[in-house]
Amino acid sequence: MSPDYAGLFRALGPEAALVVGALAVLGLDLTLFRRHSLGERLRLALWVGSLAVLAAGVHVWRGGAPGPVFGAVLMLDPLAVATRFGVLVLTLLTLGVARSSTAQRQPAEYVALILFAATGLILMAAAQQLLLVFLALELASLSLYVIAGFDRNRPETAEAALKYFLFGGIAAAFLLFGFSLIYGVTGSIELPQIAAQIAVQGANPLLLVALAMVLVAFGFKTAAAPFHLWAPDVYQGAPAPSAALVASASKLAGFTLFTRLLWPGLGAAAGSTASFNAGPGWLPAVAVIAAASLLLGNLVALAQTNLRRLLAYSAIAHSGAMLLGVMAAGRAGPAPLFYYASTYGLATVGAFGVICAAERGGRCEAISDLAGLYKRSPFLAGCLAVFILSLAGIPPLAGFFGKFTVFAAALRLGGVAAPAGSLAILAIALSAVALYYYLIVLKQALVAKPTAGAQPIKVAPATALALFAAAGLIVWFGLFPAELLGLF
Amino acid sequence: MPPSLETLWLVPALPLLAASLGALTPRGGRRFSAGVAIAAMAGALLLSCLALRAALLDPSAHLVHNFRWFDLGNGAVELGWLLDPLSALMCVMVSLVGLLIFIFSLGYMCEDENFTRFFCFMSLFAAAMLGVVIANSLLLLFISWELVGLASYLLIGFWFHKPAAAAAAKKAFITTRIGDLGLLLGLVWLYDSTGSLLLYDGGNGVLEAGVLGNLGTMALAGGLAVPTAISLLIFCGAAGKSGQFPLHVWLPDAMEGPTPVSALIHAATMVAAGVFLIARVFPLISYDQALAADPLHALTVVAAIGAVTALLGAAIATAQSDLKRVLAFSTISQLGYMMLALGVGSWVAAIFHLLTHAFFKALLFLAAGSVIHAAHHEQDIRRLGGLGRTMRTTYATFAVGMMALSGVPFLFSGFWSKEAVLHAASEWAVSQLPLYAGLVGVVLTAFYMTRLLCEVFWGPARSPEAAHARENTGVITVPLVILAIGSVGLGFLGTPAWPWLESALTGRPVAPRSLLEGGGLMALSIVLVAAGLGAGWALYGRKVRVSADAKDPFSAAAPRLFGFLGARMRLDELYAATLGRLNTLGAALADFMDRWVWGGAVGFLALLGEFTGSVNSEVDESGLNAGFNSASERIRGAGRAYSGAQSGDAQGYLRTVAVAFVVLALLVLLGGGR
Repeated sequence: MSPDYAGLFRALGPEAALVVGALAVLGLDLTLFRRHSLGERLRLALWVGSLAVLAAGVHVWRGGAPGPVFGAVLMLDPLAVATRFGVLVLTLLTLGVARSSTAQRQPAEYVALILFAATGLILMAAAQQLLLVFLALELASLSLYVIAGFDRNRPETAEAALKYFLFGGIAAAFLLFGFSLIYGVTGSIELPQIAAQIAVQGANPLLLVALAMVLVAFGFKTAAAPFHLWAPDVYQGAPAPSAALVASASKLAGFTLFTRLLWPGLGAAAGSTASFNAGPGWLPAVAVIAAASLLLGNLVALAQTNLRRLLAYSAIAHSGAMLLGVMAAGRAGPAPLFYYASTYGLATVGAFGVICAAERGGRCEAISDLAGLYKRSPFLAGCLAVFILSLAGIPPLAGFFGKFTVFAAALRLGGVAAPAGSLAILAIALSAVALYYYLIVLKQALVAKPTAGAQPIKVAPATALALFAAAGLIVWFGLFPAELLGLF
Repeated sequence: MPPSLETLWLVPALPLLAASLGALTPRGGRRFSAGVAIAAMAGALLLSCLALRAALLDPSAHLVHNFRWFDLGNGAVELGWLLDPLSALMCVMVSLVGLLIFIFSLGYMCEDENFTRFFCFMSLFAAAMLGVVIANSLLLLFISWELVGLASYLLIGFWFHKPAAAAAAKKAFITTRIGDLGLLLGLVWLYDSTGSLLLYDGGNGVLEAGVLGNLGTMALAGGLAVPTAISLLIFCGAAGKSGQFPLHVWLPDAMEGPTPVSALIHAATMVAAGVFLIARVFPLISYDQALAADPLHALTVVAAIGAVTALLGAAIATAQSDLKRVLAFSTISQLGYMMLALGVGSWVAAIFHLLTHAFFKALLFLAAGSVIHAAHHEQDIRRLGGLGRTMRTTYATFAVGMMALSGVPFLFSGFWSKEAVLHAASEWAVSQLPLYAGLVGVVLTAFYMTRLLCEVFWGPARSPEAAHARENTGVITVPLVILAIGSVGLGFLGTPAWPWLESALTGRPVAPRSLLEGGGLMALSIVLVAAGLGAGWALYGRKVRVSADAKDPFSAAAPRLFGFLGARMRLDELYAATLGRLNTLGAALADFMDRWVWGGAVGFLALLGEFTGSVNSEVDESGLNAGFNSASERIRGAGRAYSGAQSGDAQGYLRTVAVAFVVLALLVLLGGGR
């Protein structure tokens, strides 16, 4: 069988578009626009970057026939295509948010790194060979480490980036160790062969240890407890657009990657979904991580006074719910999980976008800094209401329907009595707890009076457009969930 | 699927879009609002013409586009639109007449401060009517139908600062709602019996033979067939909207709205909806004709109501002194003719009369509007007069409309459509009474229209307003001229010698009839028209009224009859004395029950509740609430405790990861609890 380079080239069109775009951003900035003001350079970089993302989107749209590409290195199934689209949309929204970012001393580098991160993320969405998985993950992670520490004026940014990097490095080490063990046990780095081998061999202890290592990396990537420790610091310290990307696109791609790894690849070692006593497997471990994330995320969020830390803990809680979707993906398919992760990403990008825009009009760290937002910028307050209510899962917004489908899928696994079912019940109960801290944010934004001397906030048009689009999509997908669920 | 079918939904959607844009336009955006409304109507007219062309390629086909709106239990609610010659012709008529009325309104409403809102409502009105016309689902039809009612409410009450207008709007809305209740019941019943509300659906629609056959086998306790009962309920809705006796009382009061609104209500929208509805569901309404055992046929009721309405409207119109009110009663009478035609089984004649009537009645109303506009809102015919000399275009076009409505032979469209109706009535096997009613109506119509023409345009000006009236600008007169041309020309679509309309509507080739067949009837009606015109001329034309206070010759001849008719046969008073009083009585009774019986019971229960509440509150405060508070506090405390673990110490974090890995590995290896 001769390698199908033409097919590979076509499948990697989006990545190529993003890389070319990133290089164009850097090149233009270094040559033609060198002497222009920072604002103009940022605007140019964002324009070129957005065009690159759009071009990548067109490539995804027109990407060749679905199925494995280049042997089985890449897998272009509906999940991959949908995730690539999702990542690109979220990246585009992040670029729109970045227009309002303050204190950008190197706008072109910032935008280029966002594009590199997006390249890694869309590669993650389709990769199904362990080596490529690792490379994609590292490309994305390394770019994200840098943009997390991009604001050099604030010491906490540097601290956040360092913690993120250390954590990421450990997680990568675990992952690589796990991959090498898998290779050692099965003799292959391609998921289909690995799956076939495991089906023949059954689960041996070495493989299970490898699985645990993969789960550590998974937990890191998706900020699930107890591997979440980096998240609050990074969400708090990183520039808002960086945090938005880390919280949305990176999470979506991570879930897709690990779902692909765990179900088609290691599905034979899953254990039983109905009962965890049936045999060893990764499902009990995922269940424990999910339960820990749900409990810890929701409870600790109650005690937060910092808006970004609150979002971080809410992200941890949402990860727990999405892990339920991962557990259910074996039977229900990836549709509920993808719906949840993508609409969650929209709401998070939006929330960070509002923070970013509000920062231009003054401090926006504590929840109380939002006081009187409805007077200072009715548009931002309205958008924030949509995002926060979607995160809280209030119908008819998309967040409600995401929770609904994921919980319904989890309950169908084995009824209420099965572990997944009880987890779903736990998640539903904790949603009520979550409503409390979400509403505290909205109370500040919509009810509390502005502090004396608070200025009205002017929102840059690009950011306003991005926020409006995110809010619109949340409402749209909430009203017409079949638009997303029907993709699979 | 032909492209015209795919784009048919745009016909109502364009005016709807114009209405929503108009609603968002601030008061100052007069040009924009009117421009969008007129452009949308022109677009709708264009699309309707294309649709008509497509529909005429195969007139017998019912092209439908159905889609699922939402799922409900095991069933689904489907909507759709329908393209056949009937809907296409109606679309063309509504959008053309509507467009002309819109243009007319530019001139007529130019001094109104709510000009923008006016065009918004007018567009909504037209959009709703077009929605009724193209609906292939009775549900969609009903939705549009109610929108028609809403828009009419808004427009009749457009000058809501006038108490009479506000009251008229309320009256129109409530009276038609009474009919709509019947329609809704009919639709629910139909859905219950057939499981569908689609008209045509590839053999499963409620107008198609299979479904109707099933429906026909059902009968009620009294032997009344279910199709008959459903048809009568649907007819209730049509009677309300089309101003049929006894629900006609709202229509004359609707004159309180601006004159273009009256024109739109009386010609293109609203009242035409009822007639159209019956014509649209004609296969259902007429289905019980085949059931010999049925004690009552729905069409018989339709014909009887139509005949009564035709006669009653014409009689009352002879004794009204308000220009627009005469026209309003004439509309009621003409709608009676249409219902009569439907009742005797000729829906084609009804639609023919509907189309011609739309043109000449729009013409008459707009001409009346032109007069009113010129005479500074004087619309009492006793105080007008002499306008024939100063307003020549309006006079000429009004005369054309008057002759069309009176049925002056051969040249005018009203003659041909009225002949078609009378001819159909003469062939009805059940009874000849509707024919006689129609023939008497012909005399009366010619009489009161002659009276109207003489009073308004002849003789001396009888008030300063009339004396100062001058011809209006082109934006008002040009629509009149176009409508006048239509009022003449449209009649030739359906003459017995060239029955194009009938073959187009039914999809069957129709052989031309010679004039001699039914010529006796035609000759009779020509004689009757001449008699009416002559009587009118003798009473009002020969000796024209000279002052506003002079007594009406008819009133002088028969003062009590004139007074009775002038008071609209005292039907409003009758309703007020019977139904109104019953309603007041019921309301008083309900009030009494509410206040004393139910209120007392509720008050007692409230006391009981208060008592238990205070007991409960004690238990709550000291027991449950304290428990809940402490639980919430514990949850928050847990949050704070966990939060404390987030020390910011990176080494500590990494140690946690290592420990967690070991736990996970054990968990995976041991497989949960084993």
